[in-house]
Amino acid sequence: MPRSNFSKPVAASDHSHRRIEILRIVLLVALGVILVRLFAIQIFEHSSWVAKADEQHTILETISAGRGEIYMLDKGEPVAVVLNQTTYQLVIDPTVTKKEDIKYVVDTYAKDYAIVDLDEVYDTEGLRYSIVAKNIPRETAQQIADAAVPAVWLKKTNQRVYPEGQLASGLLGFVNNDGVGQYGVEGSLNKQLAGEDGLIKATADVNKVALSIGNDNIKIPAKDGENIVLSVDRSLEQGIEELASQAIKDTAATNASVLIMNPNDGEVIAMANLPNYDPANYDKVASAADYVNYTTEVPYEPASICKSFAFSAAVNEGKMTADTTYFNEHYTTVDGWKIENAEQRGILYGTINMKTALYWSLNTGSIQALRLLGGNPNQITQEGREKLYDYYHNKFRLGQATGIELIEAEGYIEDPNEGWGRDSTYANMTFGQNLGITMIQTASAFSAVVNGGTWHTPTIVKGVLKNGAVVPVERTDLVEDKILSDETSAAMRDMLINNRSYLVTAGIDRPGYAIGGKSGTAQVIVNGAYDDTFAQLVGSYIGFVGPSGELPKYVIMVKMWGEGQGIGSGDAMDLFNKLSNYLIDYKKIKPKA
Amino acid sequence: MNRKHKSDLVILFATLGLMALGLIVIYAIGPMRANVLNSTYGTDYDSNYFFWGQLRSVGLSLLALYAAFKWIPCKYIKKAAKPLMIIALALSGLLWVLSLAGSGAVKCELGECRWFNLGSVSFQPAELLKLALVIYLADFLARKKEEGVVGKFREFWLPLLIICGASLALVVVAQGDLGTGVALLAIILGTLLVSGVPTRQYLIVLAIILVGAVGAVAFSGHRMERVDAWLTTLTGGESSDSTYHVDNAMLAIGVGGLTGVGIGNSVQATGYLPESINDSVFAIMGETFGFIGLFMVIAVFAALLLRMLKVAEHTPGTEERILIVGVFSWTLAQVAVNIMAMTGLVPVTGITLPLLSYGGTSMIFIAFALGLVLQLSCYTSREVIKNEDISSGRRLGGTYHSSRRRSS
Repeated sequence: MPRSNFSKPVAASDHSHRRIEILRIVLLVALGVILVRLFAIQIFEHSSWVAKADEQHTILETISAGRGEIYMLDKGEPVAVVLNQTTYQLVIDPTVTKKEDIKYVVDTYAKDYAIVDLDEVYDTEGLRYSIVAKNIPRETAQQIADAAVPAVWLKKTNQRVYPEGQLASGLLGFVNNDGVGQYGVEGSLNKQLAGEDGLIKATADVNKVALSIGNDNIKIPAKDGENIVLSVDRSLEQGIEELASQAIKDTAATNASVLIMNPNDGEVIAMANLPNYDPANYDKVASAADYVNYTTEVPYEPASICKSFAFSAAVNEGKMTADTTYFNEHYTTVDGWKIENAEQRGILYGTINMKTALYWSLNTGSIQALRLLGGNPNQITQEGREKLYDYYHNKFRLGQATGIELIEAEGYIEDPNEGWGRDSTYANMTFGQNLGITMIQTASAFSAVVNGGTWHTPTIVKGVLKNGAVVPVERTDLVEDKILSDETSAAMRDMLINNRSYLVTAGIDRPGYAIGGKSGTAQVIVNGAYDDTFAQLVGSYIGFVGPSGELPKYVIMVKMWGEGQGIGSGDAMDLFNKLSNYLIDYKKIKPKA
Repeated sequence: MNRKHKSDLVILFATLGLMALGLIVIYAIGPMRANVLNSTYGTDYDSNYFFWGQLRSVGLSLLALYAAFKWIPCKYIKKAAKPLMIIALALSGLLWVLSLAGSGAVKCELGECRWFNLGSVSFQPAELLKLALVIYLADFLARKKEEGVVGKFREFWLPLLIICGASLALVVVAQGDLGTGVALLAIILGTLLVSGVPTRQYLIVLAIILVGAVGAVAFSGHRMERVDAWLTTLTGGESSDSTYHVDNAMLAIGVGGLTGVGIGNSVQATGYLPESINDSVFAIMGETFGFIGLFMVIAVFAALLLRMLKVAEHTPGTEERILIVGVFSWTLAQVAVNIMAMTGLVPVTGITLPLLSYGGTSMIFIAFALGLVLQLSCYTSREVIKNEDISSGRRLGGTYHSSRRRSS
């Protein structure tokens, strides 16, 4: 029995029924076609649609890690010198944003932050994106947001701010528009400062907002960068930068670099490159040379400063003492080259001792040290060259990166045997020419000369700031190498102090302090040869400061120069004198009777 | 007229079942839709906004269905045919005039002005027009048949041409609503088919409409674009803006696979698929319920539609029969064209899926139409009506019949 209101249709002879039959066929065909199509899409093509869907629905998004801040020390406590700040950019789409709207917003709120001429923006055809103002602080951005002007957008940006302005800009570096640290600490420690971005992989809606749908969502949180604490003393840095700036004003020099470190552990407490630039507007400098940290990145010839290294080598090998004598003729000849002393006064002609030779910075004296090092007082030997190379390159580690946490140049020390004119090259090296070394290499080597003979890897990072405490960074590559005997170091200190004996008399160096030093005036290579007109010179001075009778507390190195200017070591020494006295006062170093 | 018996339960339950399913789907994806609109356009829709809207539509639709079924006897419908048609045409005309005048009483979306703005609700006169045309054609065709002038130019084709032409013009040209145009054509072709028009004339009309449709598409930029997009999709070409809609509809359906991703897990509904709660709801159902689910939905539609034909076959009155076929054609056109568009078989025309899509007017009117069919299903004859020439207008009595009583 059919459970139907209808009996079976009887054979119909009329149009109506036949035509309804047509409709039934149309219906069944249409639904049949649809079902076949659905079967194809949902069953046969299923996996390819799923693949397409994954491509469309999955977002891979990085979670930006917060960049670490940079600190210096002030009375032993960390103080921030590079901070992060959230600021906002005002962004428009000129084809959508009404000119009067954005004009109103800029005039009312963001006048001080505007960076473009709106007329120009609206005259540029096809422009769809324009940053109208930037560095807008949060409160102002909030006001703009509250004004709810249509088609005006605020874009959040993270920005470095520098509470100390231009202080130590060459040391600190800057962060470029891509968020990558450039130059200085920002550049060398970019990885630690940047941290690690996190990752979100998720099924997202059409506006790229992650959904809770889907079970293969991944979220790796960002690891914020570390807050780096430098061993640099902020107030000291300010003080020496002021003195160095004044020195530039007072002399023909255009640049001055200063490095102060503790010779007993290699810790750098001041590092200045004057003039500074404004890291907040780093793109406003005249050339990229303004970014350079000359203390670590540029090898140069510190000239006669290196006599202390040549003397140290000969003394340490037992080949010479301060009292060893030689006959000074104001010049000497090596490989047929006549090498003259800068100081030619008559009383120095004849037999003099090494102490005197260092005091007057005689090239003949340091060449004699090299000869003695090679076992022959009359000529430079292979043994002498090889020993000097061993001291310069292997012991003092000149011409090699020191391992300080900064961008470093290596420089070079010539091979003692390979190449032409080895004797004259090595003769030159005794007074700091024919080599390329950086200030930090020089100061580290000098520290070993005066600290009792131990070479320390220089450092400038005190640690990282965690929960308000400075946690030292574990380093396994720090070197502590006893390269000179205590006696050698003591003898060198005596000679270096003797160099400045007249300054004590002159009242510049105060009594009760052991202050020693060595000057260096380097010729500049012009067209491949040393410029004998002395039109352009680079003046350097290195010295140490400490109470009398004690190991030095600080090593100070100064370099001053100017394009086309003959800056002698006298200018550098003047600055050193100011710095050493400033340091004694600042660090309250007590004199010894 | 036959003695009244119980209404057709298949039609009733299919209708109610589809409405319930629509509610479930809107409940699941409505919050996503609200979220997309809120984040894209800064609107402030409550997450259940669309569910309550659909619930309201279902409520009103049930009322309309019940009203058509119980409260409005068919003879009143017959009397109302002409005035209803005039009102429907007048409203569509008024909408057009107001939209030209840029009146605030007209709601436009994407450049097409199809709605009257009545405060918080809107009303689409095209939906009324579909219902009115069904009722009018049923009356008109039956009357002409009775008068024996079917197929005559002056008495039959001319008035038909004017009424149908005006309806199509107001919908397709003035409102740019090709979807409703297709539904109207389906209603016209369906009712004409069972009105006793000579086969040759019918085929000529069919040919003219096909040529006209091709012409209309070819001369309308955005329609050609849609056809282009459709051809691109059908041949597996590269995606573009124009193919975005159908690409994402097919993607949703494809992702559903055999069993679907489950209620509330549709990703395509989170903004990828345009019109996800109305015109594209079928695709979301494909994603959610898979092939099995869609098969069942189509089976329910098939049952509903086949049952309507069965009722038509057994309905003695010409006018009533034509009316049922009109409702059938209307429903079939919307179901087939909507689903075919979602599966890339025909160009996207913007047509709702009856009883399932979000949208009040469309559901209320089709529910009303189905209510009429339900009413007529109470008066079927046991036999298939084979005598085409019911000239007297007096219904030949069928046997009293109640399967319920007999089969229970």
